[in-house]
Amino acid sequence: MNIAVLIKMVPDTESRLEIVDGKVKEDAFKYMVNPYDEFAVEQAVQFKESVGGKVTLVCLFSDNPGIDTDLRKMMAIGADEAVVLRQEGYRGDKPSTNSKILAEAIKELNADLVIGGVQGIDYYQGATGPMVAHHLNIPHISGVTKLELNGEKITAKRQIEGGLQIIESTLPVLVTAQKDMTKVRFPALKDIMMSKRKSFENRSVSASEENDVETIECSLPPARDGGLIIDGESPEEKVDKLLEKLKMEAKVL
Amino acid sequence: MSSILVIGEADGKEIKNISQQVSAVAAGMGDVVGLVMGKNISDAGMKLATAKIILADDDKLEYYDPVKFTSVVSQIVEQNNITKILMGATTMGKDLGPRIAAELRWGYLGDCLEAGSEGFVRPAFAGKVLARSNPEGSVVVSIRNNAYPAGESWSGSVENFSGNIPDSTTNTISIEKGGSGTVELTEANIVVSGGRGLENPENYDEHIRPLASVLNAAAGASRAIVDAGWVSHSHQVGQTGKTVTPDLYFAIGISGAIQHLGGMSGSKCIVAINKDPDAPIFKVADYGIIANLFDIVPVLKSKLSN
Ligand SMILES: Cc1cc2nc3c(=O)[nH]c(=O)nc-3n(C[C@H](O)[C@H](O)[C@H](O)COP(=O)(O)OP(=O)(O)OC[C@H]3O[C@@H](n4cnc5c(N)ncnc54)[C@H](O)[C@@H]3O)c2cc1C
Ligand SMILES: Nc1ncnc2c1ncn2[C@@H]1O[C@H](COP(=O)(O)O)[C@@H](O)[C@H]1O
Repeated sequence: MNIAVLIKMVPDTESRLEIVDGKVKEDAFKYMVNPYDEFAVEQAVQFKESVGGKVTLVCLFSDNPGIDTDLRKMMAIGADEAVVLRQEGYRGDKPSTNSKILAEAIKELNADLVIGGVQGIDYYQGATGPMVAHHLNIPHISGVTKLELNGEKITAKRQIEGGLQIIESTLPVLVTAQKDMTKVRFPALKDIMMSKRKSFENRSVSASEENDVETIECSLPPARDGGLIIDGESPEEKVDKLLEKLKMEAKVL
Repeated sequence: MSSILVIGEADGKEIKNISQQVSAVAAGMGDVVGLVMGKNISDAGMKLATAKIILADDDKLEYYDPVKFTSVVSQIVEQNNITKILMGATTMGKDLGPRIAAELRWGYLGDCLEAGSEGFVRPAFAGKVLARSNPEGSVVVSIRNNAYPAGESWSGSVENFSGNIPDSTTNTISIEKGGSGTVELTEANIVVSGGRGLENPENYDEHIRPLASVLNAAAGASRAIVDAGWVSHSHQVGQTGKTVTPDLYFAIGISGAIQHLGGMSGSKCIVAINKDPDAPIFKVADYGIIANLFDIVPVLKSKLSN
């Protein structure tokens, strides 16, 4: 079974956000693997371990080589190879453009299953997976918390309002991982050593289609200044004052 | 004249409140056509607050399926000269929106906080940055719950969808309801969240769930207690959990790490209960109580139950 895993590199969650002339200052960003994509790698490797096959990581990013070590870590989990698409002017907020490029690369892999993350923690679009599936002309299932493989079929549990949707699909299909899907292993030292010998291909690509919406201005949300600390002699008094505020001032009760 | 398509969602015999919010937003932007897809959704669909309503009520649409739903939408777009599609940022909207955008080769804006004829605002970096855009071309937009007041239903014209519904290679077997009586986090007007300050899972059940229940609120959690296995990930609020924007958010025994704030700082009113006066949660809270949560929460619950 051939499995392609989509890996997005996103700014570290501790990155400082500064805005200059309506644009986020990005030059000091450090990048990490989008947390949801780690679940996708782990799931792909588990399937490979049970039925055989190959796991290929596919990542579209800029020329910045600073991400290679983090991608190697994903290979230490058990992925067999990585295809890193290097695009000048790559941006993480262009799902239409990016999904087109990713789909082109995935077509060559003859994947039975494509797994990605439910959303990037950079722009929260959650758009790339469904768009890649559309370009590959295969169905998709997003936000999956449990995935099972039974022969030529998969069964997925998808998080929806108030419960789970249980879906069965033939292959090929694209699935996006929600957090509970797997528990990501810590690779052993020998796997880390091994990963250094695996195939890591850099390939330059360029964008062909531009349907993405341009952001015209970024701003920081209005700062919430610390509000009122409620004093009182006793828990009763504090709670009374709080309820009074919530009813009369904030009008939310 | 070009029109705006609103994709509404039925919830039993009712139309979802988020769909009425989206209808109200669309009404401020131009001519609106509403669409509701599903099985036995006609009664609910008729309540959608749009001038014209198209109902795609068919056995084949019983469960949400991106391939089938995208096909129905694109047929309607073609027949009605649609240039914008708006829907709620629900689990369906967030899944369907991008697929439709790819099919139509339109732009996509997910989970917008603001939408209108002057443009759209969506969050980036867990809400730490707001990104404004004003696209000239056609777009598919999903709008976050609670960003706008709901529109009222009125009797518009109603049509039935008569196009093709393709087969799909995915098949929904069933829906598993997650515990009865629980309010969904992303739809709740009030959210009561607990963190590591609760000390153990039994205290979550004893303090957070009952407080949520008297307030008809959803119960949320920090990642610390999700990772510790006290509650399932579906409760997690934050950068790698759900984003919530209720009218009222209680953070109880939660320190207020930046990744948690990312998921809840858009709430209208935030109450923090924490024994550490330096906890960062107090920097975003509208009302803070510095105290032992075990002293405060039982009193709060009993006063609210009366
Ligand atoms: C990539 C990444 C993504 C993340 N995503 C998320 C996310 O989506 N959501 C999220 O929540 N976190 C997320 N985190 C984790 C986050 O950084 C924090 O570790 C987590 O939010 C802490 O949870 P907590 O506030 O419950 O625990 P703690 O930080 O341990 O805070 C517990 C608080 O309880 C208070 N307390 C203790 N006892 C009492 C008492 N008796 N009465 C009153 N107060 C008391 C303490 O003063 C303290 O402030 C993420 C981290 C990373 C690195
Ligand atoms: N540039 C990229 N390279 C590889 N995979 C990506 C890229 N962008 C998005 N993805 C995949 O799509 C998921 C959702 O991303 P997004 O649509 O940006 O929220 C990610 O978790 C990845 O699995």
